[in-house]
Parts: sequence; structure tokens; C-alpha cells
Amino acid sequence: MKKRSRRATIVLYGLAIFWAFICLFPFYWIFTTSFKRPLDVNRVPRYIPFVDYQPTLDHWKFLLVDEQSKTVRYFRNSLIAAGFACLASVIFGSMAGYGLSRFRYYWARLGWRNDNIAFWIISQRFLPPAAVVIPFILFFNFFHLIDTHFGLIIAYTTFNLPFAVWIMRDFFNSLPIDLEESARVDGATRWQTFIRIVLPLATPGLVTVALFSFIFAWNEFLFSLMLTNFEAITMPVYLAGMKNTKGIDWWYISALTLIMVAPVMLIGLFLQRYIVRGLSAGALKG
Amino acid sequence: MTNQSSIKSLPPDENGITELAEDRLFKRVFLTPTVAILLVLSIFPLLWSLGISITTCQRSVQVDASSSTLGNAFCLGNPAELSLQNYARIPTDSRLLTATRNTLFYVVGGVAFQFAVGLGLAMLLNQEFFGRRFFRLVFMLPMMLTPVAAGYLGRMMFDSGLSPLAQLERTIGTALTNLIGQKVTFSIPFITEPSVAPLTIILIDSWQWIPFMTLLLLAGMQAIPDEIYEAARVDGANARQIFWSITFRILLPISLTAILIRSLEMFKIVDIINVVTGGGPGSSTESLVMYVYDTALTYGNYSYAAAIGYVLLVMVIVFATAFLAISRRITRNQLGTES
Repeated sequence: MKKRSRRATIVLYGLAIFWAFICLFPFYWIFTTSFKRPLDVNRVPRYIPFVDYQPTLDHWKFLLVDEQSKTVRYFRNSLIAAGFACLASVIFGSMAGYGLSRFRYYWARLGWRNDNIAFWIISQRFLPPAAVVIPFILFFNFFHLIDTHFGLIIAYTTFNLPFAVWIMRDFFNSLPIDLEESARVDGATRWQTFIRIVLPLATPGLVTVALFSFIFAWNEFLFSLMLTNFEAITMPVYLAGMKNTKGIDWWYISALTLIMVAPVMLIGLFLQRYIVRGLSAGALKG
Repeated sequence: MTNQSSIKSLPPDENGITELAEDRLFKRVFLTPTVAILLVLSIFPLLWSLGISITTCQRSVQVDASSSTLGNAFCLGNPAELSLQNYARIPTDSRLLTATRNTLFYVVGGVAFQFAVGLGLAMLLNQEFFGRRFFRLVFMLPMMLTPVAAGYLGRMMFDSGLSPLAQLERTIGTALTNLIGQKVTFSIPFITEPSVAPLTIILIDSWQWIPFMTLLLLAGMQAIPDEIYEAARVDGANARQIFWSITFRILLPISLTAILIRSLEMFKIVDIINVVTGGGPGSSTESLVMYVYDTALTYGNYSYAAAIGYVLLVMVIVFATAFLAISRRITRNQLGTES
């Protein structure tokens, strides 16, 4: 390894620490704000607990005890919408991905083969959802799906599928075909081979797809805003609505924000390598 | 990723499986759900949306749809008449113009900024130093946030007189006052000034998405073998030459892809703006997606909202096509001698 000069080292650490500060300070700020009394938020900035302000658990108590039913409801809504959309995306995505990887398709009318089909599917991912939101409203109105979990699950599955298919196709392409062939020789049916042999091998791909689908649906804003009004509202929309009250209650917003981001942050931190794989698969092959 | 790049894909045409009747059934069963979902919930709404945009459909017509005709319920029949008035309105709608300009500003300015900083940070993380893994993790944190949450975090940094940043500004103001002897008030109206607010939106969005650029570019850099650098150094190339003729060239394809992905995402920006400025002051930060939302839900003008959605769609398609064409050319010119 080549040696660095002392000055270069100082610059390097200076920059790294500076950027780490930029990344971390907002987190620190929102975390501490959730323990500040309104007075300590609304006058001058207070930085260090116990030194320049006295922390309080009131806001957390308010959200988790007094308003428990509300908080739990919106959290559960998010969990249901994201969970089932994730499940559906994994199932349909892995099936379509496997099909596109292992079978030959030919759509005579369009003259499309596997690659065309795959490209068509991934191209759906980049359409702005705002261009289809009005038909969704009408459609959902007609079938009484507005403000239901099922409606959100349908919408999120649609948005997740292209990415799920893309990743899974990529993944199956990278799996050697020998194992499947020997299973077939041993008399297993296609379906058995897929369930018993292929899916277990594809676990890393499935995890990546599940994570991305879940996080996407958990974070989604526009469709939840437009397709729910009360019962099925998800966390981001509930939270975004809190700014509309007169005088923003920053302490509640802070605590709720932390509640909302906790699952995704934990997933991200513990399963980081799957996230990296998903992001780079999307980009490197794109 | 190493895993991904080292593996040759098996094109189905070459895997040599003979197609049995069982296979013919299965391949349909496997692909059909996805194709059906996308046809019904993506392609069909897209066409339907175009249909709605050439009617005069309003929510008021549509509200008690269950009791009236299917045409009303789906915004396609009487009394929602066919007309091109929505498209006639587009050139004269100044709010639409502002929203379009803002969206393009976010896409071009925001993504360029994110790429520049992301590249810098990737180069930083590509050095070997103690604590690199820690810094890499910390640098990635903002990306894990829900955009709505990132919006609130940003707003707490920039909003009101209460943020730490505002206090810093006041401190600088006081220091300057003492220095010059004249009263200096130093305060940047991050959110309240129409000319500054879009920049604030870009800053907050960048805070969240610079990590995406960093991550991809870093992955690209780490795939460059050390021998290439060694060889260049032996040949007497200086740091700048090495950067432009090796790092930059090899990173070019992945950079272009990262920029494209980020741009296409940026066209959809809505949540951060909604939380930070609500589109204001005036409509100075409003994006096209927000305008669609407002037109549809606040004004109940479904047909015009659909038309704006189509404006956005056309912009995205034109942008993506042009970008792909240009980047193909750049890649060819830059890498023409190799490969």
C-alpha cells in the first residue's frame, strides 16, 4: 500500500467526519426533539439533554398510551399494506422471473421474445404513477376499494412487480440449471422442482425482492394520500398530515417519525448487503 | 455484486430444455399473473387516463357514480363530453408552467448536485483508512429513511427561527456586527423566499439521495483492478490524468445509469415537497405530481389532472429516450477505442 502524507490524512478524516456530522446531526436532532418540552423546542435550539434542557417522556407516553389506538392503527395499516404487497410481489415476481429465465416465450402478435417481455415489464417501473392515478381513483371508487387495505395492496403490488421480476430473472439466470435437470430426471414435476429445489437456492434473491418491495410500500406516499381518507391511512400520510395543524407539534412529529422509520432502518442496517445487491442489480444491469 | 458480474446469464434459447406439454402449461402459469396484473393495472389505466384527459370529467359528476351510468362512473360517458379543452388550457396555465419548470429544475439541478457530491464521497470511501466501514455505514443512513421523514428532518434544520442553522446564522450576524461596527442581520429565508425554497428542496432531497450515488459509484470503483492504477503510475501519470483517463472512463456507464435512475425517480418527487413547503410559497416549489394531486383532490377536476399526468409522462419518455441516445453516444466516443 502506498503511504499517504500527513496532510492528506488530516484532509481525509476532516471530510469524512464533516460528512458524517451532516448525515447524523438531523437524526440526533429529531431524536432529542422527541424528548423536549414544547418550551425547549420553541424558543432557542437546545442541544444537550440534562445540560441545557430537561428531557421528558411525555410525548412518547402521549403517543403510545393516550393515543395508542390511533398510533397502532396507522402503524398496522402500513404493516398490512406493505406486508401483503411484499408477499404478492415475491410470489408473482419469482414465478415470472423463473419463467422468463427458463422458458422460451414468443408473443407472435408483437413478435416479442423473452428479452422484449422483460424489458416491457421493467419499463413499467419508471412510469410516473401520477399518470395513472385518476383511473385508479375511479376504478377503486367503483369497486369500493377506496380506503381499504386491499386497494393499497393491489396498487403497491403493481408498482413492485416490475422490479421483483427483473431481480428474480437476473437471479435465476445466475443459478446453474444442472440441479433442476437432475431433479427432473429423478422424476420430480416442474412444480416440485420449482418449490423444492429452485426457491431454496434463490433465497438471497427472494430476500432482496422482499426487502425492496416492503420498503417501497412502507414509504409510498402519493397513492396512499389519494386512495385512503381515514380507515386505511398509512404512516407517511398520517405523519404528513400533522403539519397542517396550527402550530406544528414538533415533539409529536419527531416521536412518530422515529416510530415510522424504525422498522425500515432496522431492516436496512441488518440486511445491508441485500440492499446493496438490489440497488446495484437494478443499476448495473439496467 | 461480484457475484452478479461474474456470472454469465443463460439465455433460455440455449439451455437446451426440450419443451414438453407440461412445460407449455407451466410457462404460461408462471408468467400470466404478472402480465395480467400489469396489463390491467398499468397499461389499461394508462390508456384510460388518456381517454379521461379528453373529456370534461369532474368529481362532482362522478361522486354518486354507483347510482348513475357506467359512463359516468368511469369518466367516459355523458355528461362528461369529449373535448380537447384540457390540452388547450395547458399552454396558458402559468401554474403548470411553474410546476414543469420546478420539476425540470429538480431533475437537472438536483441530480447533477447529487452526482457531484456522490462521486466525491465515493472517492473518499474508496481510500483505505481506519474506520472506513463505519463511515460507509453512516453515509448510507439518510437513504434508509422514508422520504416523508427526510422531509421533516430537513424542515427542522431549515424552518423557522428555531433551528440550529438559524442560530448559527444569528451568531455569524452578531460576529459580523461586532466586526464592522454596523448592524448586520444575516438570515437565509430557506423556506419562505420563493427564489430560495426550490434550492432548499434540492438540498433536502440530496441529503437523502446522495448515498444512492455514492453506493453505486463506490461499487463501480471497487470493481476497478488495482493493476490498472499501478500500470498508469509506472507510466508516470499524475493523479488528475489517472482520474480522467481511468476512473472516470470506467465509471462512465454506471454513472450514466445511476443518473438516469435518479432522474426518473426525481420526476416523481412529491413527498418531501409536501412536507417541507406544501408547494409554496405561492407555487414556487410545486412539482408536477403535486399539481396532479391538487387538481384531482382539491379541485376535483379529474380530466385536467389526467392531462397533466400525461404531460409528465411525455416529459419522462422524452427525457429517457434522449438521455439513452446521448449516453450511448458518449459511451461510444469515450470507450470507442476499447472493447
